[in-house]
Amino acid sequence: MASNRWLATGNFFTTYQEEQRTFTTRLDQLIFSIFLLTLFIWPLLFELSRTYMLVVDNILIAVVAVLGLNLVTGFAGLISIGHAAFVGVGAYTVASCSRMIGDSHIIITHLWPVMIIAGGLAGAVMGAIVGLPALRLKHLYLAIATLSFQMIFEWTINFMAFFNQGQTIFVGRVMWLTGEVGRSDHYVFWYYVILIVIVMCGFGVRNLFKTRYGRALVAVRDNDRAADAMGMHPGLTKVYAFALSGFLAGVAGALHAYLYRGAGIESFTLHHSISYLAMAIVGGLGTLNGSFWGPAAIQFLDLQVENVAELAGHYMPSNMNLATALRPLTFGLVIVLFLMFEPRGIANWWRIVKSYTKTWPFRY
Amino acid sequence: MGKTIRKNLFALNLFLAFAVVVCITPQAFAGGKVYKMGLSLAITGPTSDAGNPYSKGVEDYFNYVNDTKLLGDDKIECMIRDDQYQTAVTKRNFEDFLDQGIVFYLNYSTGSTLGLKRDFEEVQIPVLPASFHAGNVEDSHYIFLPIASYSEQVVSLSEYVVNNHKGDKPKVAMFIHPSAFGRGPVGDVEKSIAAGLNMEIVEVVEHGKDLDNTAMLQRLMSKNVQYVICQTIQSPVATMIKDAARLGISANAFGESGKITFLGAHYTGGNDLIDLAGDASENFFWITSYTITSEPGPGTDFQLSLAKKYGRDDKAANSHNYANGIMVAQVATEVVRRAKEKGLDISKKTLHDELNAMNGDNAYQPPTTVGPVTYSSTDRAGVDSLQIYAVKEGVFRKVGEPITSQYMKKIK
Amino acid sequence: MKIIRFFLTKCSGDRYIAMSYFFQIVISGVVVGSIYALAALGLVLVYKSSRVANFAHGQIIAAGAFITYALTVWASIPVYISFVLSMLITFCLAWSVERIFLRRLIGEPIISVIMVTIGLASILDGLIYLTPFGTENFSFPSFFPQEPIMVGGVSISWTQLVGVIITFILIGGFSWFFKKSTVGISMRAVSDDQFASMSVGISVPGVFGLAWATAGLSAAAAGCIIGNITGLNFDTLHSFGIVVFPVVILGGLDSILGAVVAGIIMGLIQQFAGGYIDGNWGLNGTGEVLPYIILLIILLIKPHGLFGIHEIERV
Repeated sequence: MASNRWLATGNFFTTYQEEQRTFTTRLDQLIFSIFLLTLFIWPLLFELSRTYMLVVDNILIAVVAVLGLNLVTGFAGLISIGHAAFVGVGAYTVASCSRMIGDSHIIITHLWPVMIIAGGLAGAVMGAIVGLPALRLKHLYLAIATLSFQMIFEWTINFMAFFNQGQTIFVGRVMWLTGEVGRSDHYVFWYYVILIVIVMCGFGVRNLFKTRYGRALVAVRDNDRAADAMGMHPGLTKVYAFALSGFLAGVAGALHAYLYRGAGIESFTLHHSISYLAMAIVGGLGTLNGSFWGPAAIQFLDLQVENVAELAGHYMPSNMNLATALRPLTFGLVIVLFLMFEPRGIANWWRIVKSYTKTWPFRY
Repeated sequence: MGKTIRKNLFALNLFLAFAVVVCITPQAFAGGKVYKMGLSLAITGPTSDAGNPYSKGVEDYFNYVNDTKLLGDDKIECMIRDDQYQTAVTKRNFEDFLDQGIVFYLNYSTGSTLGLKRDFEEVQIPVLPASFHAGNVEDSHYIFLPIASYSEQVVSLSEYVVNNHKGDKPKVAMFIHPSAFGRGPVGDVEKSIAAGLNMEIVEVVEHGKDLDNTAMLQRLMSKNVQYVICQTIQSPVATMIKDAARLGISANAFGESGKITFLGAHYTGGNDLIDLAGDASENFFWITSYTITSEPGPGTDFQLSLAKKYGRDDKAANSHNYANGIMVAQVATEVVRRAKEKGLDISKKTLHDELNAMNGDNAYQPPTTVGPVTYSSTDRAGVDSLQIYAVKEGVFRKVGEPITSQYMKKIK
Repeated sequence: MKIIRFFLTKCSGDRYIAMSYFFQIVISGVVVGSIYALAALGLVLVYKSSRVANFAHGQIIAAGAFITYALTVWASIPVYISFVLSMLITFCLAWSVERIFLRRLIGEPIISVIMVTIGLASILDGLIYLTPFGTENFSFPSFFPQEPIMVGGVSISWTQLVGVIITFILIGGFSWFFKKSTVGISMRAVSDDQFASMSVGISVPGVFGLAWATAGLSAAAAGCIIGNITGLNFDTLHSFGIVVFPVVILGGLDSILGAVVAGIIMGLIQQFAGGYIDGNWGLNGTGEVLPYIILLIILLIKPHGLFGIHEIERV
């Protein structure tokens, strides 16, 4: 490991292991560790209001879901317009367990990590099933197949009495070493849980792309015939991309069910699928850090627009329409403007900032 | 690129900070106390045709309270937020309202009311939703329905059918929304029938986005259905009654034999239905607890003057959802007034107690409803009396006097 | 046949009523299907030339209906003129949308273009919420006779009939346009191979603009007819942009004839589901979801639809 990144002027790797390392320099590692540490410590230092903690939790859950979406859409190049349905599968796995065995059963309250993984597995299974058309379909046709999964999912939940016809199915409060996680600690507790999940998923995804399975995804995206010629099975690779993405979505869904203490169909509609896509695009498709930027940016924007709309409402009381129209308008504009002017998303700004600091004071 | 963004963000934050100062300053000088309330509802997105006038009603009434000093020097500040019919956003708004110290919360959709039920229990805050779903008040101590539940409305309609039908057992079909909102009352009607209500449900139809209901209507005709009771929103009902009018099978008077009479609960009717269905809405029977502007009275005069005062257009002014919004704001104001009168500190608890005590001699009669609001710890549905209206020559007209359901008590 | 007879007898004892019920469902299915086809036409036109699925189509449908209403009722222009005017306005609207937003994205990956149309849908939502149409309900004044046309116990309304006629006029017109006219042929050429058509002097961006514009025109027509049937409610109208996706996929995304046939098939399926499945076996609202289930099955066994160009490509 080169000890000082400022002195590194080129690629001096001598072994494959060296190239595959997660951190190129010790400084990188240190900075990242400090960053992680800050993420874990700050809630202990400042007390954020419950609303903002909820917003932060929400962003983090969206990060998990968008990570999954990025796997399938960004890295494997398969458009999914049904991602919220996969998230819903995870949430409803937890919720239907809770409905069967009671919402404060020991399995729900004590074995919640198991439930979260179960949610992920259910998402993975559904992902693989929905991915099956990918064996034959490409591009738009595949997008439409995922859209129909979204519709069928919504109908099923809305229709079946078992799922409470789409109304909230409650999930009880969980237990931790210190006892039941009460209302005051709820959001902070789940902040930590989701953060740990994200760190695990983030490293998982990052490491995935050092394996042949990860590289197969990208190869199939870039040229599936070439990938075929090199001995990969493009169809199976796509199915497996869907399964992986479904797993992450399912985990996000299970977390959502626990965070909101219940699952209801309103949180898993087509609108949310579109939001996830928007987050992935604004963040930067096919980049790992884009999965973090996107949700943060979209949710932050949503909050700011709400504030502005509220202000506008103060000054134009009889003209509420203007204030409320702002929200869909800005949401749409952000997507369109990003696609037109920065299709590589915020991740690209990050790249620019990074390379600027790296080469400073020189520029090219 | 990054630089300009940062600059813009800075400018935005500066602007926001400035704006917050501007907003807060006048209140700081006003004197008197400020009681905070919150309303989260769908002003855009699904059901916004109801949510939009509703929000205007709430906003205008609270402005009216403050402008006319109904609470003396004290003021009510009600924050109104759009949640686009998404429970997650509703929850965020609610948490934010709590952080800002609200003492009373107004909610909107069935989904979010049920979804947040446990939070309401935990923080012990009184809630008035715009959804009259009977399930809202189950296992809950803090949710109060403004008027009788959908179940009660639909059962009352069924009773009206039974009482006014001539001939054998009336055959009824139900036309419902494909969700719990639509399905909920079906079970209660079935229970009423089991308890002795003399009618037969021939079919329960769940609608989709249909462009043509001819086949469905013909099927109902072939099964000798004479009444269709709707529990959904206006748009599908409009499509159906247009088809029925075209086929010449909609009854010209209640219970005309060989034809179908259409009836519907709160959210199927109002001027929106007439707007959507035009002439086909003639002789549609609608049940609600609100007074409407086509039947003028002191309540509707007040409603119209309020709309005029705050510059609302005719459509909003005459909307029953505007009346709906005014009414929940009135109830909220009334409990604050009562608590103040008793010299109590205004808090979530005192307001909740005041709501629970709102019965007997203490019942509250808002001008815009057909009966008094009564709550107690066992009955958390507000206005129990319901008024049936029917469309005559393009406007809703009163049919008889306000009624209350008999069978709802029996099946409880 | 046996199954059909079983259904018929199940629904009502009387044979005659059962038969007329059956025919009513067929007719309703065809009528509804034609309207679907008209709504789907715009999607097909755009896809045919530029390979883009337009998720903002529902919003343009709604806009067309609202413009017609505004012109007819607020500006008191005779309805036939305002119908044509609104088609012209959406023609220009869709053309400018293409010019402003999509022109820059020629050659970008398909996901970008799909997302731009989704973004556009949101922008149009916002713009419509600025008008009273976003949250209020309206209905067209009745232009046509109220009495239905009855043929042997089967009824069809004037609105529906006019809808079907307009559908077939437009679809016939577009089919002719694509087969015979120079512009139409150049549009087909562009859809086949952009570079080759550029090399023979066809303006590819011009063709894209025209495709969007004609799609806008057909959307306005669809909007007026649907608005006449359901009343003008924004939620209801814009959802048709999504509802017709199964139709275009079934027909093959790039075939006008396919859209018509598939529209009618979908209309029939929905009406039959509503007429014979709903209410039995505890099922309800199947007309909503059945198209999507069929869609998934079709995608699995015949991905390019009934009439779509079959590109030989297996992965």
